[in-house]
Amino acid sequence: MAVPYHLLKACGGMVFAAQGTDIHSFNSNLEYVSTWKYPVKPTETTDISTENPAEVPTGATPDVSAPSTPEGPPAKRRRTETGTDNTPEPTATTTTTTTEVPVKKGRFHRSPVQAANEKPFINCLISSRDGRHLILTTGSDKTIWVLEHDGQGNLKQLSQRPMPKRPCSITLTGDGNTILSADKFGDVYALPLIPTSDPNPNPAAAADSGSSTPKPILSRSATPSAAAAAAAPAAGGFKPQANEFTVHTRRNLRALENQKLSMEQSKQLLKEAKTNESEKPSFEHTLLLGHVSMLTAITVGQSVSPQTGIPREYIITADRDEHIRVSRGVPQAHVIENFCLGHEDFVKALSVLPGSPSLLVSGGGDDDILVWDWLKGTLVSRAEVLKHVKEIAAEAEKVAVSRVFGYQTEGGETKVVIIVERVPALFSYTLNPSTNTLEHSGTVPLPAIPLDVQVLQDNKLLVAVDTSSGDYVSTLVVVSTAAEDGSTVQTTPAPNLPAGEVKYGAEELQKLLYTTETLRKLSDFD
Amino acid sequence: MAPVKKPTVKKDKKQKREEYRAAMREEGVSSLPRKKFYRQRAHANPFSDHQLVYPPQPDQMDWSTLYPDYIAKDSQEIRAEGGSSDSEAAIPKRLTQDVEVADIGCGFGGLLVALAPVMPQTLVLGLEIRVSVTQFVEDRIKVLRHQNAETGGYRNVSVLRANTMKFLPNFFRKSQLSKIFICFPDPHFKARKHKQRIVSTTLNSEYAYVLKPGGIAYTITDVPDLHEWMVQHFEAHPAFERISEEEQDADPCVEIMRTATEEGKKVERNKGQKHVALFRRLEDPDW
Repeated sequence: MAVPYHLLKACGGMVFAAQGTDIHSFNSNLEYVSTWKYPVKPTETTDISTENPAEVPTGATPDVSAPSTPEGPPAKRRRTETGTDNTPEPTATTTTTTTEVPVKKGRFHRSPVQAANEKPFINCLISSRDGRHLILTTGSDKTIWVLEHDGQGNLKQLSQRPMPKRPCSITLTGDGNTILSADKFGDVYALPLIPTSDPNPNPAAAADSGSSTPKPILSRSATPSAAAAAAAPAAGGFKPQANEFTVHTRRNLRALENQKLSMEQSKQLLKEAKTNESEKPSFEHTLLLGHVSMLTAITVGQSVSPQTGIPREYIITADRDEHIRVSRGVPQAHVIENFCLGHEDFVKALSVLPGSPSLLVSGGGDDDILVWDWLKGTLVSRAEVLKHVKEIAAEAEKVAVSRVFGYQTEGGETKVVIIVERVPALFSYTLNPSTNTLEHSGTVPLPAIPLDVQVLQDNKLLVAVDTSSGDYVSTLVVVSTAAEDGSTVQTTPAPNLPAGEVKYGAEELQKLLYTTETLRKLSDFD
Repeated sequence: MAPVKKPTVKKDKKQKREEYRAAMREEGVSSLPRKKFYRQRAHANPFSDHQLVYPPQPDQMDWSTLYPDYIAKDSQEIRAEGGSSDSEAAIPKRLTQDVEVADIGCGFGGLLVALAPVMPQTLVLGLEIRVSVTQFVEDRIKVLRHQNAETGGYRNVSVLRANTMKFLPNFFRKSQLSKIFICFPDPHFKARKHKQRIVSTTLNSEYAYVLKPGGIAYTITDVPDLHEWMVQHFEAHPAFERISEEEQDADPCVEIMRTATEEGKKVERNKGQKHVALFRRLEDPDW
């Protein structure tokens, strides 16, 4: 199955397009320059080998990986393999397997369908403002990659960092030195663009909140002192958390006695295990904030602080539970300034408008896109989407906005283009600066379903379209925004490229390309 | 044999429950509800999408059904004049004052009932994720209000089904609350379940958001490890500081929390330990 370009990034006169696991670069005339390929060979063992380059040669851990190979959730398996660096003492191994690979109980089984998503597929693509770095994330191996761009379209891999949970959206801070990664689990981590060698920055060193170094909020799972306690059971020994006061029945008390006994026995083991550090990533990463919900989008906004009048940065995060949260930037990311509440379904895309940086446009499962004064947390206006989608697809009852792309035209107008999942059109809105409302300024019908959009010079839009269904052949479409009625849509044929090395089935590809609608909650579930 | 027998027994129990609860819903019931008709598994998954009802934002929360005695006069008049038009329904009736105390995971409501007479001028809200248990507290408050009709007691407490880990900011505005109680939360012993604990550094940011500076977060548990966990995570959060032992013992709410919560009573019966920790919400530094 041919994979269409599904992510685009235009920067510094170049265009980068992600196709499955590869990134192709094009010059300003959309002529093909080169390709960066996902390093195929280390795919399966990448994360392990980077974490413990010294100890884990491929296949050195057959005892744990073997039983879970057929249908165990591979995402979990990766973490287990880290745990096996411990000497394979019987007790140690069993505890590790039971806690981390839930194969014991049937209800924890994931369906094998899950495996469809397990090939690394690029799911985020951003660039630094100067165009010298490209940052991308791949889905199944949860890795953040930083590539260096030489200015001519050639990409060189600088680093790869496997995250604890799958990143859903990434962005760069205003100074361009820090990657903010929002993950499926609801946490936002800060990583330096160029990794430092120091894996554990000293938290005490950054204790002064006024200092410029990020003040680490401790990890969700453990504080340093708790880490010692928590790491111990994870690393092999078992420590009962119940005590004589919390357990009352005779049987439970007896069980507790037994647990204590075995704890004594494994104390020796524990000591050994403690020398092995926890399974955390070995590179610098700082937990900034977290939602108890899957994060769907992250962006940063710049504004003058209302308290001090100093220009400051704010982190804006959106989740599946209709929230948009505005937090202060590093190092005060623990302070929530506001929530932009008003969505009634999931939020998927955010865009701080380039021409009006106090305004934020958000879209998702609602019938409208919403315009916010994000620092105040107030809804400024709404713009209809469903109504315009119905003009293209009359039977549509709900929409899933997958992209909200704000840009400034060369004439100085602020425009927003949105993509609605599985609707073959672009919807364009123009900001009315006096009322801060978005006025629908055109619907551009496309020959195929759009996946991503970027702006080129001369007010032209570059759209990646899905060619896997239908007979339309070109994967890139240039839309001239001068005529938004769609009469002058030009198409550019895709450069002839070798197909990606990872093959996807038709159904699998659909799942990978169209993820927005799946965020919607089922209404008949309690 | 057994598989045939079991469902019928279960159904009977379910029927009894339903009948009992239906009877409780009728007007003029004067006896307090009995827990055995409202029991529910002690754990709920905070990550799943329960069929929850919550307002899109705090301003759209209709508090009038929870605190009918505190509806603002002018709000009522406007409503009376406008009749029952659709546009009126969109704007909920306002209260004369805001909810200021929240009991997160109120369980069977022991703390709420004990706090009601202690802070009669304050609106106290219990939040509970389990449906049956919430219903019990609802019925309990209803009966208590009925029983104390002359004194007007228990008009200031109410309960709501909610998943606070996800939706706390949907109910409360920034700096709205002065006290948050977290009493005997689910300990989630397994390391794999630690992420489901109600106290974490990232969630503490949300508690800091709804608490006003100077407000207090109260925690109590009978599990030493969880106590340690909560202390560490609150202390690690820059917006909170731990309150000293002396001040803690002087706070009347602490004694209520120790003795009046349902779980506190159970721990008492079993001669368990109770670990209390209070944390003050600090002013945010300048930004």
